[in-house]
Amino acid sequence: MDPILLELYRHRFAGIAEEMGVTLQRTAYSPNIKERLDFSCAVFDADGRMIAQAAHIPVHLGAMPRSVEAALSAVDAWEPGDVAVLNDPYAGGTHLPDITMISPVFVGDELHFFAASRAHHADVGGMTPGSLPLYDEIYQEGLILPPVKLCRGGRVNDDLLQVILRNVRTPEERRGDLAAQQSAHAVAADRLTELVDRHGREEVSDYAGHLLSYSERLLRERIRTWPDGVYTFSDTLELDDEAARITVQARVSGDGVAFDFDGTSPAVSGSLNAVMAITESACYYTVRCLAAADVPVNDGCFRPIDVAAPAGCLVNARAPSAVAGGNVETSQRIVDAVLGALAQALPGSVPAASQGTMNNLTIGGARRDGRPYAYYETIGGGMGGSPDAAGLSGVHVHMTNTLNTPVEALELAFPFRVDAYALRRGSGGDGIHPGGDGLVRRYRLLEPATVTLLSERREHGPWGLAGGSPGRPGRNVLLRDGVEERLPSKFSRRLDAGDVLIVETPGGGGWGAPGGPERPDDPQES
Amino acid sequence: MTDRERLGIDVGGTFTDFVHLKNGVLFAHKVPTTPDDQSAAIGSGIRQLRAAEQAAIAHGTTTATNALLERRGARCALVTTKGFRDVLAIGRQNRPHLYDLSQHRPAPLVPDALRFEVDERIAADGSIVRPLDEDEVASVAAALRGLEVESVAVVFLFSFRHPEHERRAAEILAAHLPHVDVCVSSEVLPEYREFERTATTVVNAYVQPVIGRYVERLTDVVAPRSIRIMQSNGGTIGPVQAAVQPARLMLSGPAGGVVGAFNLCRTTLGDPAPRLLTLDMGGTSTDVALCPGRIPRTSESEIAGLPLRLPSIDIHTVGAGGGSIARVDDAGALHVGPTSAGAVPGPACYGRGGTEPTVTDANLVVGRLLFDRFLGGDVELDVDAARAAVDSRARGLGLSCTETALGIIRIANAAMERALRRVSIERGHDPKQYTLVPFGGAGPLHACELADALGIGRIVLPTHPGVLSALGLLMADVVYDASISILNRGDETAALYRRQREHVLEVMAREGFEAPAVETFVDMRYRGQSYELTVPVDLPNESPDAAAARFHEAHRRRYGHARPDAAVEPVTVRVRATAAGAEVALPREEEAAASDAAPFDRRTLVRSDGHEVAAPIYERDALRYGHTVDGPAVIAQYDATIYVAGGWRASVDPWRTLHLTTAHLNTA
Repeated sequence: MDPILLELYRHRFAGIAEEMGVTLQRTAYSPNIKERLDFSCAVFDADGRMIAQAAHIPVHLGAMPRSVEAALSAVDAWEPGDVAVLNDPYAGGTHLPDITMISPVFVGDELHFFAASRAHHADVGGMTPGSLPLYDEIYQEGLILPPVKLCRGGRVNDDLLQVILRNVRTPEERRGDLAAQQSAHAVAADRLTELVDRHGREEVSDYAGHLLSYSERLLRERIRTWPDGVYTFSDTLELDDEAARITVQARVSGDGVAFDFDGTSPAVSGSLNAVMAITESACYYTVRCLAAADVPVNDGCFRPIDVAAPAGCLVNARAPSAVAGGNVETSQRIVDAVLGALAQALPGSVPAASQGTMNNLTIGGARRDGRPYAYYETIGGGMGGSPDAAGLSGVHVHMTNTLNTPVEALELAFPFRVDAYALRRGSGGDGIHPGGDGLVRRYRLLEPATVTLLSERREHGPWGLAGGSPGRPGRNVLLRDGVEERLPSKFSRRLDAGDVLIVETPGGGGWGAPGGPERPDDPQES
Repeated sequence: MTDRERLGIDVGGTFTDFVHLKNGVLFAHKVPTTPDDQSAAIGSGIRQLRAAEQAAIAHGTTTATNALLERRGARCALVTTKGFRDVLAIGRQNRPHLYDLSQHRPAPLVPDALRFEVDERIAADGSIVRPLDEDEVASVAAALRGLEVESVAVVFLFSFRHPEHERRAAEILAAHLPHVDVCVSSEVLPEYREFERTATTVVNAYVQPVIGRYVERLTDVVAPRSIRIMQSNGGTIGPVQAAVQPARLMLSGPAGGVVGAFNLCRTTLGDPAPRLLTLDMGGTSTDVALCPGRIPRTSESEIAGLPLRLPSIDIHTVGAGGGSIARVDDAGALHVGPTSAGAVPGPACYGRGGTEPTVTDANLVVGRLLFDRFLGGDVELDVDAARAAVDSRARGLGLSCTETALGIIRIANAAMERALRRVSIERGHDPKQYTLVPFGGAGPLHACELADALGIGRIVLPTHPGVLSALGLLMADVVYDASISILNRGDETAALYRRQREHVLEVMAREGFEAPAVETFVDMRYRGQSYELTVPVDLPNESPDAAAARFHEAHRRRYGHARPDAAVEPVTVRVRATAAGAEVALPREEEAAASDAAPFDRRTLVRSDGHEVAAPIYERDALRYGHTVDGPAVIAQYDATIYVAGGWRASVDPWRTLHLTTAHLNTA
């Protein structure tokens, strides 16, 4: 293997995945895709091994390979011009709004690669606008697409498209988003074909393979420096009647790490269940942060990491459990649990808990002229203080990094007004390195609307570490006729014109007891 | 106009470059840059050149850029709508690094204690939800007096719909704070998206006092000569206007090079609308731009992590330059950049204490850079030091020194190739139909290999690649532009356009141009999208709807598909006035008597394929009109070194520009 060519191929594959992403973002219609970058694009080899991924959002890290795996087992034969779609969490998906598209790339008449894209569509039907309802079964959450072909030989299967469009609240937007995903795939096909034409089939596929080994080798080198041992931690999700517990045992051994979620609560009623792809993504994300931020993301990155969870538990849900919130909320708590465990091994690297929620807000209804709308936004909060730095304020943490929708953009589009968008001062936990502050966002409805909020860390703030204090828990409040009403962490409710919804997001946990010892070193550094 | 004496002055990190046009003759000159006050070097240069009192000067400056990058701007306050004083701190709510558990973010340009709210609110349709509380503005002004601010930015929500609140607040602030610069967002950038508008307005306020003082010194230094300053948009503007809108100067530096390349090629290619890919390779980074028959512009640039939504030449920058350092990681892969050896200690071969191998060292090792011809031979490069540095990486890779050096060059090329692809192929332009124009000290070393990788058949090398920016300044047009959001304001488009046009004409009249050419554009998108494409529309004769076909076509070119049946939404109207710059007649020469140039030496050179050959070395100054040089060869000149790869032929045109073409084109 030529180390120079290896680096050149790293550039080439990463460039293709990135270009797919730019195309998708700039032509999409859903705010989630175009404004908030809630999508990922990737290139796979003919065996379904991921070669490169442009991920703007870590929750898709481990989920893309699962999608391709599911599509490969469901589809018997691929022809040039085929495109498969899926969103079934129990067959390669994660939650229903994330629609994944997979297409084969043929060079001549030989299948060489797959291109895949996953994007969060603003609505896929179901009980509430925005398709993140708080119900118990997957069937209530929206249209379910098992892996099926949307295009055959370059022709759109119009029957299937009609079924999809008839099952969603904003069909024109869906049509545009699906077209945007297809454009991204067309770009991938062009570029990959050009690559093979230029450098030959053999060299391209050899170096795709070398890149996977390279990532694996690099990651194993880093994990080898971690102290061997078994580290356990538990964290909880807030439910009305039960506290759901996520327990993880991290076993570091040589150049690999295994996470076992034995001891985690069974799947819950409501939508907080996570499928295995989410749990894997959360583990991969955490290891990547601690060991491999600069390692190219591909199949090789996953090989040193083993993830296991009892079937049917909260983090390895079985059909027909509802899963809308697993992707957005439970994923964050899995990261908290994994970080809590690894803090025992790597006290000089792991920060206190961050806001641990995405504060998913959906507002849906009809405008004065009767046109329906669905607005979805997630709200940032405080990042945990770390051994090296204070936590950032008012940002998205861990499994997401979506942008906000500009206030002026949403007021031009929707019948409500934002009265305030500000830092929630004093909400970060104290410490040598304090946690970052959360945010405050106040929405004033101008028309009646259905408001759904899915949030966490409303009872207990994100934990501090090494003697630092926890961040302040979030707060959801309805202001009606001048009277404040405290709202639960999760609700779906019809609100009136003039009502004001106040969402205050959690601050991050602080790191280090003020006046206590300064930053410790990780064992491998001393 | 054409015979007037002209002077282009471009301030770089090390040298301030002058190009002087007098009696039809061009003369290049360099003076060491005076970083603390760029006008000092300008003064010395003008004196040394004995520029006439009537000479017209055009100037590219990094003063505004440096003030922002180095955080040496004004103590600046922000006054904004109640509930929104943190917009600047929150930004778009994303964290800068996805996989970093411990992050730092630069502090906002306006600290917490200097961000003030006042009661007022405009709705999305421009109606008043809450009137401006003028007493509150007055008490903010009183508070600011004690805080010793130098400038204030005023940004209210939806001020682009209803600017009166901002204007009134500015009046009150100005009355209380007579020596403070006040900027309002509805004048700096009347477009929707509050964070982007706030950031742009604050950047303007942050550098305004610095630029104000600089422009004052500058006009003193050049007096009684007149001076215009290059803006990011590739056109110049007078000092008074530049001082009130300094945010428009942020890309003043790199803009000159693209304008220079474009205007030079109009002459040397004999094409009024040449299609060019420009490549400006410096020490730490490389700027590329695609000119599709015109100077490319965008309104989405970014500086110091802040969005700057003002018209700029569309330049894409990558972190690969001559000083980029090569390193080997734990798993045995070679990387180049983004870390750079900078000017100090610089590449190992500079002999200033650098030991890390850089792209420059690699070029020296393979014989493309000449140890005894750097800066005309003023500086001798240390080949042994370069070899030792490259060897230190070769060992980790199990490759020879030469193989490693070629590898470093290939990886640096890959980064530049990706940048060139991003501005061409990824936007629907085929690089095969473009001419590559490399400049800056290092660009001409890499041009042939980059052209080969992209299938480009022609390269044009300016006579003085090192002072092309200064030449561009001398040739630049005077340009002023304005924009306004028209989203959801269909009926008012014509009126809004007229207002912007009047404003633009007013500014141009103050610049001394009564009848500039006016172009109009509309940013459009499919209803429901969030990114626009800028399309020329002949306002007011043509309605934006009528121009929809052009939008479909632009969308198809850029993204591969269009939706002719979908609704198109006009978002922003743009008006640009241009007064043509000087017709600079570049000096021509007669064809040389001898058809072949004589090399002054033959030296060992490593070709792209790793083979060593004895290649001829030429002096650029000895190459005359009609001469040709076949690669592999090296051509040395004072401010650049040119590597003519095998398969390429360089020929000299009447302006002494080098045209490099591939062999197959020569025989075709």
